[in-house]
Amino acid sequence: MEFARIKSLASPFFSWLPFVLALLTLVGCQAKETYPSRPILLICPWAVGGGTDRLSREVAVFLEQELAVPVNVVNATGGAGVTGHSRGASARPDGYTLTMMTVELNMLHWRELTEISWKDFTPVMLINRDPAALFTRADENRWEDLNAIADDVRKNPGTLAASGTATGGIWHLALAGWLQAAGLKPDSIKWIPTNGAGPALQELVSGGVDLVCCSLPEARTLLAAGKVQPLGVMAESRVSGYPDVPTFQEQGINWAVGGWRGLGLPQETSQEIVNRLAEALLKIVTGQTLLNGKGFPWFMENEGFNLTWEPSDKFRRSLERADQELGSLLTSPEFSQVNVGRFQPMDFPKLLFGALAITLLALLVRFFSRGKSIAASAPTRLSGEGLIHFLEIVLAVAAFALLAEKLGFVLTAASIIFLLLWRLGTRIWVAAVVTLFVVPAVYGLFGNLLRVPLPRGILGW
Amino acid sequence: MDFLETSCGCHYREEYWDGELSEILLTALEQIFQWPVLGIIVISAAYGLFMGAIPGLTATMAVALLVPLTFFLDDVAALAAIVTLEACAIFAGDIPTALVRIPGTPSSAAYVDDAYALTRAGRQEEVLGIALLFSVAGGLFGAAVLITSAPWLAKIAFQFTSYEYFWLTLLGLSCAAVVSRGSLLKGALALIIGLLLSTVGLSEVHSSPRFTFAQDELIAGINFIPAMIGLFGVSEVLRNVLWFQNNFRTVVQEGFNQTLTAGRSLLNRLLFQPLRSVFATASDLLWRRKLHVLRSSIVGSFVGMLPGAGADIGAWISFALSKRFSKNPEEYGQGSLEGIGDATSANNSALAGAWIPALVFGIPGDSITAIVIGILLMKNIIPGPQIFTNETQSVLVYGIYITFILANLVLLPLGFLAIRGGSYLVRIPQPILLPVILLFSIVGAFAINGSYFDVWVMLGMGILGFVLEMNQVPLGPVVLGIILGGKLEQTFIQSLTKSDELWDFFARPVAGFLGATCVLVWCSPLLISLWRRRWQTSP
Repeated sequence: MEFARIKSLASPFFSWLPFVLALLTLVGCQAKETYPSRPILLICPWAVGGGTDRLSREVAVFLEQELAVPVNVVNATGGAGVTGHSRGASARPDGYTLTMMTVELNMLHWRELTEISWKDFTPVMLINRDPAALFTRADENRWEDLNAIADDVRKNPGTLAASGTATGGIWHLALAGWLQAAGLKPDSIKWIPTNGAGPALQELVSGGVDLVCCSLPEARTLLAAGKVQPLGVMAESRVSGYPDVPTFQEQGINWAVGGWRGLGLPQETSQEIVNRLAEALLKIVTGQTLLNGKGFPWFMENEGFNLTWEPSDKFRRSLERADQELGSLLTSPEFSQVNVGRFQPMDFPKLLFGALAITLLALLVRFFSRGKSIAASAPTRLSGEGLIHFLEIVLAVAAFALLAEKLGFVLTAASIIFLLLWRLGTRIWVAAVVTLFVVPAVYGLFGNLLRVPLPRGILGW
Repeated sequence: MDFLETSCGCHYREEYWDGELSEILLTALEQIFQWPVLGIIVISAAYGLFMGAIPGLTATMAVALLVPLTFFLDDVAALAAIVTLEACAIFAGDIPTALVRIPGTPSSAAYVDDAYALTRAGRQEEVLGIALLFSVAGGLFGAAVLITSAPWLAKIAFQFTSYEYFWLTLLGLSCAAVVSRGSLLKGALALIIGLLLSTVGLSEVHSSPRFTFAQDELIAGINFIPAMIGLFGVSEVLRNVLWFQNNFRTVVQEGFNQTLTAGRSLLNRLLFQPLRSVFATASDLLWRRKLHVLRSSIVGSFVGMLPGAGADIGAWISFALSKRFSKNPEEYGQGSLEGIGDATSANNSALAGAWIPALVFGIPGDSITAIVIGILLMKNIIPGPQIFTNETQSVLVYGIYITFILANLVLLPLGFLAIRGGSYLVRIPQPILLPVILLFSIVGAFAINGSYFDVWVMLGMGILGFVLEMNQVPLGPVVLGIILGGKLEQTFIQSLTKSDELWDFFARPVAGFLGATCVLVWCSPLLISLWRRRWQTSP
């Protein structure tokens, strides 16, 4: 019975074997050829479904067409962009890890959240710029223009509430910069932190806040539905696609700021690789690469992104200038005031620790008042063998985390699973068969079919 | 076909249509009932089932991976693929939940203990049959809600400000703690641990690092997917190797042998017998609990409609309600078929609910519809009220309605096959199964972000889950705390920043209602025990 079961498990493996072997040789051969010869990883520092993610995925599809290798997007999210940018900057400079850099790259290091700055990247191409814009509810007609709001704020500072992103995010900075340019204190409009522009716009429409500062495309659907009204855009000239929205400059305020997105490689990447990618990207942004008969500019326009591209050297200069501008803003005493709200970061955890203490106290009281009844159902005796198995499982996971990057996925996974099978009492040849079936299957499934970037190691797999 | 026409909203709001209705419906049907589109629906159903069944790969990720393909599909086919994919993925999440105690998607976490307890008793086919039938029922109801009430229901959800979201999030969390197995105090403890874990990393409100110990990786915080895999999957592997339970296999094996030897003819053995073992209890229960399914689906649709609250919270709240009004609340957490049924119909009905604000206002109800909005914009369709009045675009809306119904019908046979396939999993001897589960857990945790740190998180959470389980502390609330902690803090601080008055938390009518419900949920165990005592002393 046992034998038959194992055999039926193993049989699919033999039909796979030639395929798997062919695959392994292919991967091995390709490793030495010209760039690009294997899948490229595109790191997106923001979550699935957002604007940066959408842009990354579109760029990836066009790059795939142009470079003829798979380009896989990975969302390395969290830490307001720290995670993605720092992983992209510290990747191997072999051209196989691209990063979709965003405006936060020029802000995070000024706020001392990371050491990574634009200097850790080789800029390849700027793809998009979205200037900040200010919105209010459409149905109320509260203010005619920016100056009317400024007058309102001057009379009653601190009564209006605005939103758009987290405290200290780019849109918060844009609003505070406008207030400063208008001669007001940066904190004279309350900032309600939200998790991105979507929830902020929802707050605006439902009456939770009075103003929202975000980019025009982010408010596109609500603009089309006539729910929100744009008061101005913080750009030097009007934005294509939104000809009716006046700039701040037209209304007498000299203030322009916005978000941008562009591709970068780790700093030490060889010029040859940078040039190859820049060449491919140039074809894409100028609409020469066609997909299904449509070019990249067409997609950008339909998604409401503003396509603004700058080649490597120009991009580098803009980065340097923007970094200085944001730096002088972020380090100025007025702004450091803004970043500290009325509630401290540790307030919520303190509340939780309080609740934890109360709960533990109550549990203790109950434990002593009821005696053993709680601990009574604890499981029976521990065997030495069980404890060893327990440690082996822990070690196996640790071994993967420590060794996979060097040895590659296939070797690490195969040795871990083989040793575990053997240690848990499977016969050696059964363990070998299971290993030889499961590891290539997982590799094919995740690595090839689902395009998860599994660790490649020294051998390339 | 008759069925489709009657349920596709012939009673639809007339001011929009003026007699063109049948024409639009017919065009939509024509566009869907073509071989290529139907083929795409079946393929995406299979893909969804597969992605949902692998822990670590969520329905959202499955849809995101589909985005490049939608460039090449026409509008109706692209949307049909996504609708089918998500409906199947959310059901498929129940398969590993029941079989190996790892929720395939976060939406299945509410009833993981129940489902697994029944599997250990050899009743996994019953559980999955119920999951399948109730999912289909919930999904169909959700589609009906989407069809009939999309425009006016979304208006209610649109009134929500941070106060309402605060209470709603707290309600979701409270439900998880109150319904969980074991005592209220331990549920609360689990919840607080989860919430504290969520505060690790860069706070969303202040963007300042907390509990990061100067580690760059910790700035990103604890990702809930590896945490979930660790808490449920790895802790289970650890427990199993510590006390090798050979009886587990034999119990399941006996159940199987019974089903295998029962039939006489081949057809009987291969088709009727499995059909009976999967659907007999399920269809019976579905008929007996039709009103409960209705209630759960209403809850699911409504929660799904609220931006930011998706299928997972819908499942928790429905599970909590189910326990509160159940005649056998003591079964919940130990293997309650009723609880599984109610929660699983809620998470499937939430899916269609999430499309309502997405279509009507362009504000996504969950992360999947966020991607959908991106795809719609790319195809030059701007979601908004006008989508219901413009003739070519309303064909698309009808296409979405029809596929929601079709997807749930396709799910029935394909889901059955998936259950049969999945059931073979538990026939594999444990010494072989455990290392394979561990490998899948590691790859699943690694896959989500391609990060080794996530593998460490998974291991840490596995050990934490093991320790908590040993002390009968439920794990579900820990996971929900990690997922919702950031949102709770954010809405809390937002509401406090807006105004100094504590009363404002209750001042808006919906907020007041939700707040009161929340307080009631926490007091209910106390009230019920008081009421019982009184009732018993003076009969």
